[in-house]
Amino acid sequence: MARYALKRVLLLIPTLILVTFIVFMLMRIIPGDAVDYLVQVLQSSSGGKTIDREAVEVMLGLDKPLLTQYFIWLNDLLHGDLGDSFFMTGTVSSIISYEMPATLELVILTFLLTTVISIPLGLLCAARQDTITDNVIRVISVIMMSVPVFWIATLILVYPAVWWGYAPPMTYVSFFEAPIQNLRMFFIPALLGAITSAGGQLRNVRTLTLEVMRQDYIRTAWSKGIKERMILLKHAFRNTMIPVITMLGGSIGYLLGGSVILETMFNIPGIGQQLTTSLGMRDYPMVQGCILLISVIAMVINLIVDLLYKAVDPRVEIE
Amino acid sequence: MQINTEEKKRKNNNSFLRQLFKTKPLSAVCMMMLLLMIFIAIFADVLAPVKMVNGILPTSVLEKLQGPSWKHPFGTDSLGRDLFSYMIYGTRTSVVIALCCTVLSTLISVLIGVFSAMIGGWFDLIIQRFVDAWQCIPSLLITMILMQLFGNGILQMVIVLSIPMGIGGSRMIRSQTFAVKDLDYIHMSKMLGGNKIWQIFVHIIPNIMPLILMSMAGSIGGVIMSEASLNFLGYGVSVNTPDWGAMLTSSGRSYMYLAPWLAIIPGIAIMFIVFAASMFSDGVRDILDPRLRGGAPKYRSKK
Repeated sequence: MARYALKRVLLLIPTLILVTFIVFMLMRIIPGDAVDYLVQVLQSSSGGKTIDREAVEVMLGLDKPLLTQYFIWLNDLLHGDLGDSFFMTGTVSSIISYEMPATLELVILTFLLTTVISIPLGLLCAARQDTITDNVIRVISVIMMSVPVFWIATLILVYPAVWWGYAPPMTYVSFFEAPIQNLRMFFIPALLGAITSAGGQLRNVRTLTLEVMRQDYIRTAWSKGIKERMILLKHAFRNTMIPVITMLGGSIGYLLGGSVILETMFNIPGIGQQLTTSLGMRDYPMVQGCILLISVIAMVINLIVDLLYKAVDPRVEIE
Repeated sequence: MQINTEEKKRKNNNSFLRQLFKTKPLSAVCMMMLLLMIFIAIFADVLAPVKMVNGILPTSVLEKLQGPSWKHPFGTDSLGRDLFSYMIYGTRTSVVIALCCTVLSTLISVLIGVFSAMIGGWFDLIIQRFVDAWQCIPSLLITMILMQLFGNGILQMVIVLSIPMGIGGSRMIRSQTFAVKDLDYIHMSKMLGGNKIWQIFVHIIPNIMPLILMSMAGSIGGVIMSEASLNFLGYGVSVNTPDWGAMLTSSGRSYMYLAPWLAIIPGIAIMFIVFAASMFSDGVRDILDPRLRGGAPKYRSKK
């Protein structure tokens, strides 16, 4: 086990380096760079003075060859320095650490709601396979998956306000300062995110449970005359939980990516919103930092879930 | 000969469509819906009451933001375009993107997955690390960045949406190829002098075909949804191309109070087509997925 864990952690290193490379290169191949934008801004703010383009390039460190830039960035990264934002005051890490809590809160809430919705319903479907209950829940789950989240969000932002004068709060307060106000703001976006992701997860839970229900030990349990409730709760569901948890854990990366839309729509000052703005301005270090952080979080969670999976289920072979 | 005809008979009895209609009526209906969408997309020019002129739907300031009426069944948008025609032409955008993406991403998946598994060794290791790394980055972010790179347009969108999907899907193809590549008939083919290319195209790909079809069907809904989301975020088709997601962003959001139909109708359309695609792919999976074959055992405990 320890050897396996070590191997997995070691394999993470090349993956991580590749992630940094992909992120860096993706940013740099986008046409139209930050220099043009900054020159424009400086020109208008200094009242039409000509700005030396090359000086700006040197200032941002963009005059060096691409690979050199990459290695400088990588080197800084190893020293825990994500660089400075081109347009905002402050280092990328300070801006990110300021915005991270909102994103994490949204993702955690979404994750919890997804779990609460999908596990019980998925298990119910599997236990009542091919009955009316099963079919109705499955159709509803497909509808949940098909709702465009941005569409429902727009409707929720506008119509309740028009009809009942209710609008979800749009000003962010930290959870630790005013928990109730904070939750009132986060509940609706989290619920929307959960609805869309729960549809798919519910179906996965159902499929995984059905696979377990076809195992020999379930048949044995039946033939011993054990009550249905006991079989479902003790034999089937407990065995299902292992792959289900792995699957749910794996979805966190997806939720982090999806937070971009929700944050933009509900004005949550998180990384997703920052990313959209920075991408528009070609703020390279900012975008690189944000994406890298999101990817690393997804990666680490996947690793932990994987290791837990092997630790909990002794049948899983370790290569 | 005898065996051959019997084999044919058996195959016919189990033909995919027959199974779909017999065991999954809802999926079959959804498949018809998708076919209807394709039909609308092909004959958009005939079906739309207001035709496109030079690739642009005619605008008229006098008729802007009108409610549903006989002349404009779905009303008009802020530029006075007929929403009904806009939606019909929008079907074309969605269908073209969905079909092209599905095909292109599957090609990418098969190419990466099969070759990675067949060549193996260092090549496989490096490719897999790359796929790992790529998968760590949320695909919405990648598509956003790539859209900035390629610019707006249908072709660009097809490419941008297919790359992450193709790379993501290659995992499954690779593991399936691994499962097939050590079977006897592959060894046999090697013994008879078949080289790797022959093995791949004559033996491996036909044998993983159910899986490929399954993942193709499964990706249609996702493509339409991502396409709409990207359009909503402002990275999408060009301004004049009718697109459901784009309608939601441009007129739908700004005139939600004055003209609710502009937001509601495209949303329902997206939901409808994604629903049909998912339901259809569900049926396909149930029929083709080897893991779910062989029906569920039914037990009851004595009351």
